[in-house]
Amino acid sequence: MDTLLLARLQFATTTSIHFLFVVVTLGLVTLLVGMQTAGFLTGNPTWERLTRFWGQLYVINYVLGIATGIVMEFQFGLNWSGLSRYVGNVFGAPLAIETLVAFFLESTFLGMWIFGWHRLRRGVHLALLWGVALTAYASAFWIMVANAWLQNPVGYEVRDGIAHLTDFGALLTNPTFGMAYGHVVAAALLTGGILMAAVSAWHLIRRTPDFLLFRTSLRIGLVTAAGAVTLVQGFGFAQFGPVGQVQPTKFGGTPAADALVTEWTARFGPGDYTPPVLSSVGLGFMILIGFTLGAVWLLLPLLWRDWIIRLRFPLWLIMLAVPLPFVAVVLGWIAREVGRQPWVAYGLLPTEQAVSRVDPGVMLASLIGFSLLLGALAVTNWVLLARHAARGAADPALGRPPGTPDDEPRPAPAFA
Amino acid sequence: MELAWYALLGLFFAGYLVLGGYDYGVGLLLARGGPGTRRANLTALGPFFLGNEVWLVAFVGILFGAFPTLEGELLSGFYPVVVGALVGVILVTVGVQLRSRPSGQPARAGWDRVVVVGSALAASGWGGLLGGLLQGVPLHADGHVAGVTHLATPFVAATGLAMLALVAAHGATFLTLRLPAADAAVLGRLAGRLIPVAVTAVAAATALGLLSDRVRATAQQPPAAVLLPLSLVTALLVARVALARQQPGVAFAATGAALALPVALVGAVLWPAVLVSTVDPSATLTVAEAAASGPTLRLLGWLTIPLLPALLGFQAMCWWIFRGRTDGRAPVYW
Repeated sequence: MDTLLLARLQFATTTSIHFLFVVVTLGLVTLLVGMQTAGFLTGNPTWERLTRFWGQLYVINYVLGIATGIVMEFQFGLNWSGLSRYVGNVFGAPLAIETLVAFFLESTFLGMWIFGWHRLRRGVHLALLWGVALTAYASAFWIMVANAWLQNPVGYEVRDGIAHLTDFGALLTNPTFGMAYGHVVAAALLTGGILMAAVSAWHLIRRTPDFLLFRTSLRIGLVTAAGAVTLVQGFGFAQFGPVGQVQPTKFGGTPAADALVTEWTARFGPGDYTPPVLSSVGLGFMILIGFTLGAVWLLLPLLWRDWIIRLRFPLWLIMLAVPLPFVAVVLGWIAREVGRQPWVAYGLLPTEQAVSRVDPGVMLASLIGFSLLLGALAVTNWVLLARHAARGAADPALGRPPGTPDDEPRPAPAFA
Repeated sequence: MELAWYALLGLFFAGYLVLGGYDYGVGLLLARGGPGTRRANLTALGPFFLGNEVWLVAFVGILFGAFPTLEGELLSGFYPVVVGALVGVILVTVGVQLRSRPSGQPARAGWDRVVVVGSALAASGWGGLLGGLLQGVPLHADGHVAGVTHLATPFVAATGLAMLALVAAHGATFLTLRLPAADAAVLGRLAGRLIPVAVTAVAAATALGLLSDRVRATAQQPPAAVLLPLSLVTALLVARVALARQQPGVAFAATGAALALPVALVGAVLWPAVLVSTVDPSATLTVAEAAASGPTLRLLGWLTIPLLPALLGFQAMCWWIFRGRTDGRAPVYW
């Protein structure tokens, strides 16, 4: 086993797990903003109950998003020190902006939102959730700017073998950025919508209390998913043109791709400059899932007079669809990332030059350790999510009024 | 301009050690007490927890954006201690946020043990990193740090343990300040007992450092190196006196200073270098060499400096809203 392969496996594992959680975070927070805002404007207590129930699931899901995100951030330096050495001047900037401008604020706001129920004025509490959502979108924005630069390096010049920033605007107008950002955000909304609809469907099938509450969230989830799936498809297909132009080898088989491979062979020496077949297979299956999920539009007419609930089988279909968006986002990510191989920064820095000079044994230990740790935490987190989703909206711990007798009563002298 | 960014980098790492430090201190103290006590400790952390951990993320963000060369070599050159600290950070982050989601007492106790282990790993890992910086690294002329065995020294182990002791004392002082007044006396005595332990650990690390040729050769500014243990011990003694006089606020400021000072002074001891090579003096990496080039620093400056007051302001808002001791009306979630 060589260090390069191990480092790539570790990056793929961490990114995939990270992505499974952040799409839910981004999708649910958008819906939560809608629910809490509706509650603020109408004063209808159902909205507050919906916000607390879905907010609790959102907060549980968020935990693994942070944990895997921290590993991602450190991984650049731990395993890919060549990346920071050769292109850090350009690639590092959007990442630094993301941590300071977006994530730092997001987490600060979220802490206040979780503990601010019944403590802050309702307007302030709502503003905090808006802050969480806006910074979450800003976070995705800057991460996609950074990733788009790896797909298609722009706005730099190489001096003494190191890339220097010359035009930051070019990073923002990168053809591999805009549509991809829209695609990712829409995929997050799709995932959040399907998840919300499916959890509601489970409660409606089981005829748990709170029929009206879950009927509402079923409708919100389905309508969101339908709108989002169309956006996902649109932003997805819109990328073929620009990506094919700046990354001819990603889809391959064109004269432009052959010309580029000839040019690289002349500049960097002979080598295999076509990406692994995994990327195009992933792309194909992702498109298939995208079309399948488009069928959510067929369910919308059934919302009329609650036929969707009365017929029951559409509810089962929605529950069966839950894994699909998760599989699709990972496949999409593989298509994008594996498709730029063998480059870490397309046409600029080969992946093998970016990997840290770490002993393979150390890298293997790190790969196994982090995969087991994050994998175990991810499974634990999903079990907790499922249990809390099944428990229903009777009394979520999130937003419980203070002074409510808790399951863990405090003994009188706490430190006796 | 590099100096300003270096100071900002230090500010965020120091901020993380002070704020994350009491998270880990409280985490370590979950090793004692019954279920109610442990829940009360976590409620004391409550709203601050998420805002504390992000200082680390911001620190690494600045490290990557403004000091890319340093980022690559620092993290990969200190692989085992960074991974240890990182595993610790993850265990604490996940453990604290999830421990109260299962309702069974055994599951919660299990998560609490996860938090204890995580806190120990995180604190000793960051301590080891600072120690490792002070004893220099085998940085070669090609700009890479060779191997990881350079970390296996008694000095690194001692600095890791010293950080562990500092964090435990800091956490106990935080609880003295934050939990209901009825608990303060008992906690104050606990914190008072932990401070001599921290002083001893700092003294042991100092002695090992003085005995080590590598540490003596690495110090670029010996006066700062002398000041480092002296100021640490002074801060700890101030905390001890303040605890005895039942002034937990002063004591907390002092233990906080004891966690922030090492960052500032390690930076000062190594200045103008940041990674001192033990094998090839010409390979030593200075702050100026480690920094990103001018256009990148200017861009980051324009985009982030105007936002710094907002970042710190929202953190201050969180501290202000949830100030004071916890009581029966404190929101319980973790």
